[in-house]
Amino acid sequence: VVGQRALLVLTCGEDIHMRVIRPGTLATTAVAGAALLLGACSLDLQNPNAPTEPQVTTSPDGVIALGTGLQGRFATSYGAFAYMAGLITDEFASGGSAFITISDAEQGSLAQGTGVADAVFNGVYRTVRSADDVLAGADALSGQFDPGTRSGLRALAFALKGESLGEALQSYQQIPIATYNVAAPEYVPRSVALPFVRALLDSANAQIAGTAPSAFFTANILTPGLNLPNTIQLFRARYARLANDHAAALAAANLVARSGPGALSVLTFPAPAVNPYALVSGSTTAIGPRRQWRQSMLPQDQRWTYFVTPSTTAVSRIGAPLDNFSRYANPQAPLPVYFPDEALLIKAEALANLGQLAAAQAALDSVRTDCTGGRGLDDPKACLPALTSQLSQGDLLSEIYTQRRYELYGTGQRWEDARRRNAIRGPAAFPALPSEGQRCWLPYSVGDRNANPNATREVLPDPTEPAAFPSGCPTQ
Amino acid sequence: MTLTLLRRGAAALAFALTLPPGHALAQPATGTGATGTIRGRVVDAASGRPLPETQVLVTGSRLGAASDAGGQFTIVAVPTGARSLTVRRLGYQPVTQPVTVTAGGTATVELRLTVSAVNLSEVVVTGTAAPTEKRRVGTSIASLDSTTIGRAVSVTVDQALQGKVAGAQITQNSGGPGGGGISVRLRGVNSFISGSDPLYIIDGVIIDNGSSQLADLGGRSNPQNRLADLNPSDIDRVEIIRGAAGAALYGSRANNGVVQIFTKKGNVGRPRFGLLTRYSSSELREEQPYNLYPFDVAGLPIARFNYQDDIFRRAPGTEQNLTVDGGNDQTRYYLSGNYSDEQGIIRSTESRRAGARLNLQQQLPRNLLANVTANYVNTRNQFQAFGEQNEYGVMGSLIFAPTSVDFRPTNGIYPLPPSIGTNPLLAIDRIRNPQEIDRFIGSTKLTWTPRTSLLFDYTLGVDNTSFQQDQFVPRNAVIGTAPISTGRSQSAFQGSRVINQDGIASYSWPDIGRFELRSTGGFNYTSQRVRTTNAVANGLAPVGELVSAGSVFAAGQTQVELRTLGFYAQQELAFADRLFLTAALRYDASSTFAPSERWQPFPKFSASYVVFENRAGALNNVRLRSALGWAGSQPGIVNAYSQFVSYAQQPFAGRPGFVNDITFGNPTLRNERAREWEIGTELGLLRGRVGAEVTYYDRTVSDLLFFRPLATSTGFSRQFFPIGTMSNKGLELLLRTTNLDRRNFSWTSTATYSRNRNRVESLSIQDFQSAQDYPNRIRAGEPAGVFYGSYAARNCVTGALLLDSLGRYRRSNQTADMGATLARRQEISGGTCNDSLNAVIGDPNPSWLGSLLNEFTVARKLRVRVLLDGVFGNDVMNLSTRAQNAGIASNSYEYQRELLPYGDPRKLPPGFNARTQGIFEYWVEDGTFVKLRELSGTYTFDAAPVRRVFRDGLDVTVSGRNLAVWTDYSGYDPEINLFGTNAGGLNAGRTTAADRGFDFGGYPIPRVWSVSARFSF
Repeated sequence: VVGQRALLVLTCGEDIHMRVIRPGTLATTAVAGAALLLGACSLDLQNPNAPTEPQVTTSPDGVIALGTGLQGRFATSYGAFAYMAGLITDEFASGGSAFITISDAEQGSLAQGTGVADAVFNGVYRTVRSADDVLAGADALSGQFDPGTRSGLRALAFALKGESLGEALQSYQQIPIATYNVAAPEYVPRSVALPFVRALLDSANAQIAGTAPSAFFTANILTPGLNLPNTIQLFRARYARLANDHAAALAAANLVARSGPGALSVLTFPAPAVNPYALVSGSTTAIGPRRQWRQSMLPQDQRWTYFVTPSTTAVSRIGAPLDNFSRYANPQAPLPVYFPDEALLIKAEALANLGQLAAAQAALDSVRTDCTGGRGLDDPKACLPALTSQLSQGDLLSEIYTQRRYELYGTGQRWEDARRRNAIRGPAAFPALPSEGQRCWLPYSVGDRNANPNATREVLPDPTEPAAFPSGCPTQ
Repeated sequence: MTLTLLRRGAAALAFALTLPPGHALAQPATGTGATGTIRGRVVDAASGRPLPETQVLVTGSRLGAASDAGGQFTIVAVPTGARSLTVRRLGYQPVTQPVTVTAGGTATVELRLTVSAVNLSEVVVTGTAAPTEKRRVGTSIASLDSTTIGRAVSVTVDQALQGKVAGAQITQNSGGPGGGGISVRLRGVNSFISGSDPLYIIDGVIIDNGSSQLADLGGRSNPQNRLADLNPSDIDRVEIIRGAAGAALYGSRANNGVVQIFTKKGNVGRPRFGLLTRYSSSELREEQPYNLYPFDVAGLPIARFNYQDDIFRRAPGTEQNLTVDGGNDQTRYYLSGNYSDEQGIIRSTESRRAGARLNLQQQLPRNLLANVTANYVNTRNQFQAFGEQNEYGVMGSLIFAPTSVDFRPTNGIYPLPPSIGTNPLLAIDRIRNPQEIDRFIGSTKLTWTPRTSLLFDYTLGVDNTSFQQDQFVPRNAVIGTAPISTGRSQSAFQGSRVINQDGIASYSWPDIGRFELRSTGGFNYTSQRVRTTNAVANGLAPVGELVSAGSVFAAGQTQVELRTLGFYAQQELAFADRLFLTAALRYDASSTFAPSERWQPFPKFSASYVVFENRAGALNNVRLRSALGWAGSQPGIVNAYSQFVSYAQQPFAGRPGFVNDITFGNPTLRNERAREWEIGTELGLLRGRVGAEVTYYDRTVSDLLFFRPLATSTGFSRQFFPIGTMSNKGLELLLRTTNLDRRNFSWTSTATYSRNRNRVESLSIQDFQSAQDYPNRIRAGEPAGVFYGSYAARNCVTGALLLDSLGRYRRSNQTADMGATLARRQEISGGTCNDSLNAVIGDPNPSWLGSLLNEFTVARKLRVRVLLDGVFGNDVMNLSTRAQNAGIASNSYEYQRELLPYGDPRKLPPGFNARTQGIFEYWVEDGTFVKLRELSGTYTFDAAPVRRVFRDGLDVTVSGRNLAVWTDYSGYDPEINLFGTNAGGLNAGRTTAADRGFDFGGYPIPRVWSVSARFSF
């Protein structure tokens, strides 16, 4: 037998063991070798494709990446809210043939469970989850972040969580507010949700007032183009106005810079990223601006040039006349988080409500007369003349509302404006064209209904839409 | 009894596992002493035709050989004295014949075998731990030999199995070259996880049969599954276990059954060359009627074009197979090389395969036997996208293209269609989807039999596939905005490697009276690793087809590994060679599952009782069998890491970012578990002229894995979770008859019947849409994958369709048609029959499957085969015609009817087709079909002058595949199915194994004619 050898190659995963074995001892060696080998074959594999929860939440790098992810999700959820609100009001219609549900939505009809109806909810609560992850990470690793960075992370999370929940309460009659690691979140009415949102935004404000965000945070975590202090103040003003807290709205609006580099906050979409409007104005959803928006403007009003390219031929799937998007047609166009003149409009409204009509009108005229070269910002410019005489409070509020329609186009604000001005006018089945708001609320998300015992039909019936129009919306 | 034991134990093992035809083991059975040689010939008793590949064994020893193509065999070193030979062959009755061996002499025998429809002595390997005669196994195991496979004249093995296995629904999902994508469902749908095809094992190597596509060739379509890399001519035998009862020994992956394939081994003798050459021609079976009405909606004249003539072609194919085999007492070899080139009936599609195989067997000292197989394949495809892909897919563009567009290029510019897709002629001329597969499948097997009663067996196998897939869509080829309209070039690479190791030890105990005992134990370890990289570019330069021609880039990479480790033990007990009991347990663990749930036991019990055997009279053989077993299934590559809670990449503004993966991990993930029992019998009647196999089975799969919804307010959407229970119950029948068996004419028939009833027994979540975006459903109490959706409302009293004022259907879930309130619905309906918005409107699961194979042999020279294969009572949703009827396409014959002038009896009311778009019931058709699956005639030229050149004569075969289809289905083919992605590919997460019966832009299955010649020298 001498000289005769068998070569046995045993492998496990990447490990290759080679043994030279005499045939005489082959059997025992093979058995022993196999046993040895199998012992070495671990079944505990790690996923190389995606990090696990501990890998992300226990390292500063991971939490910083969560901060970026949060801002990415915010861009998505804000986009979903804004275009949905535009469909439900009189801003947008759809030229896409693939999704009939979008054509239904533009006529004020939305079945539960359709993708467009759930997109707002899913988007918002994913953003909220990311914000909560950032807050948890910033706290858990507080020793590993410098105070300014931790403060920036927390302020960012509070601000975006607040704004997202604010978008939810502008879309659904009731919303859950405590969702982090809760299996079955409970729904609360606006009377509870709105103070919660404002408290979140106040926390963001207090956070950066207490400890200014570090240069590291601003350079490496905050998305380029976003000014956090201004954004927080604008959000605070927005929800103070929504709560009819005019003094707070005025105070916050006054803190929003109206000129200079921080006055315009944008989300940027370097390729291959695509801005949310470019994403939904593509071939399948094909959201487009209704032509009536441009055509209803005063002839001198120049704001349409910011948003649309006029068309005489474009129509929605069911025939509503459309224009084409102008700057958002470029997939890489930045998306303003808010338009700076929103602060002026909130200010004007607060002043008008507080009876300071002249100051209100001055603020409003500042919006009306904004023209090229004015404040030097890349935002919609009306280039209208100032109002010629002092308006009454009612006329002033009405004019503010009109200016909001044109200035804040595509930001989702018009829906709540219709709601609070009792201007829900019901579904407008084509060929009728909608004006102002078509319905009060979206149906609740079927994804939550299917799995959340607090969101079943029995516990949480869908809100009834108004029976007579025009109408406001019960907020419970 | 000892002799029986020896024969049935080690010898059977040696034959089935390691000793294919023509071999002689040069090892004395009993000590030293004088030996002689036995030479002989095996022939068919009726026709006198030589029978190759017949096992001849010196009874009670491990000595044996298998006959060669001429029926010849030689056994050397046989101890002198009175011996007996046992002869076995698939489809024949075993024979024992005495022979006297003298020292140094050569005894010559002629062995005559009689056809038998039932053969209980056939040896099977699959599912039995060690080779075992069928009579001992309590489950039904289908086995097919090389003749059955070779004569199918098919491109792939799974195609060759179509219509031949009771209980198997083998569906060709698409008709593209290279076999098309084929899915095999054994005893119904048993899982919702994609990847529910059986476990495939070739020569002991678990292989990857994925059909993943790395670039989008049609959403979830299935242009080719990787079994297509195997050359059917190399196959010697296939064994199929259909269910859990038989497959328990394969543990956590066997829920969907096991298909084990054995390739050919060499014969002892001088080198023998064989050549098979084939030429084929494929064609579209039947054109669809398109809208060729020469007027438009306004009644104005318009030119119309039938683009089927430009898209489809008569496509040639060739195949060459060269084999060399031979060997001596120590060494045997089988070498083969093959090259095939098949063009598809859609212009510009093609599949080429070149491969080589070496199977080597070497007898080593000390009772060691080594078997080595090595198979290298290179497959090169040029495909076109079809199915759901209607951006640049040929079929998608065809069904959506109005016939009023002249797509022919002018000045080199291809006009684009008005609303969707691409110009199909442009796709054919310019869009390219090349792919290249380099694959090596190899195994090394060592068998050690220190004593006749003891056996050790170790197998190491590897299946290594590298898959390169590219895609080029030129600029301005596709309607729509960036990025696709700016051109697209993609290059993706996937390396898949499966390594498995198997060890078996088997010991036959000394007999205790009339009891025989055998104990077997073993282990199996499998590791599969799939690595994928992908680069995509848009914004292509005017010239250049590679990714480097782009200006906007994206890239991706994934790595997935799955490991499975299992141990098993089996105890067999036989009494009086009549009653056989087996108990086995496999203990299995997979890396996919949570450590706490990982180790799972899978027991099996089986009983077989041979009531009588080879008895005289009308009823000759009766065997009863029953088995009970458990098996599992595990998620494929797509969901391999579902136990982990993980984060997903969400880069933003050019920075890396993480967000919680909306699919929440399941830290207690465990396998699906099937329990199956079956009971059956085999009957032999009329002296072997009629054989019947009947099996009834009942299987319940629990802990079915799928995604359960999570409250979306938590920021998560779903979790991979056990969500329900499903059952399959059914009956399988196989009938083999020898209708005529004369010297110059014989006629045999094989018929199969299978019936399966699938039912989703329970769901812990709401019923759900199984294929995203399609109206099919998993609902408790219904078969899996039923069609569920809107229907045409009917009058509840008369049952007549409710029509609106223009004569159009009313859609059940449309307020405009049915009123806003329930009261209004009922008023319109005259009752409550239309109360639900949606309903179950069809079932893609067939009521039964049947096949009939007739084989005729005339004058020993001409063999004719006719195989009819049918699927009955299944529904197909014809979404192809739905697309054609849509206003943007308006190219169907049905749409043409809407254009006809009023007064024409065929006229449809205006808007009729627009209305039916949303009524899914309207698109459900009966998919029952019978196909003339195979028709072949083979003539053997074996006159003396021919034999002087070609040793075994020359076989010339003319054959056809899918020559005729009898069906009421109106589309191209009721067999094609939109969904075929069975594991790991693009979009595999958006489909389940239950998604059958959707026709949407499928690649039609061609009719194929071929001529082939086979000769050896």
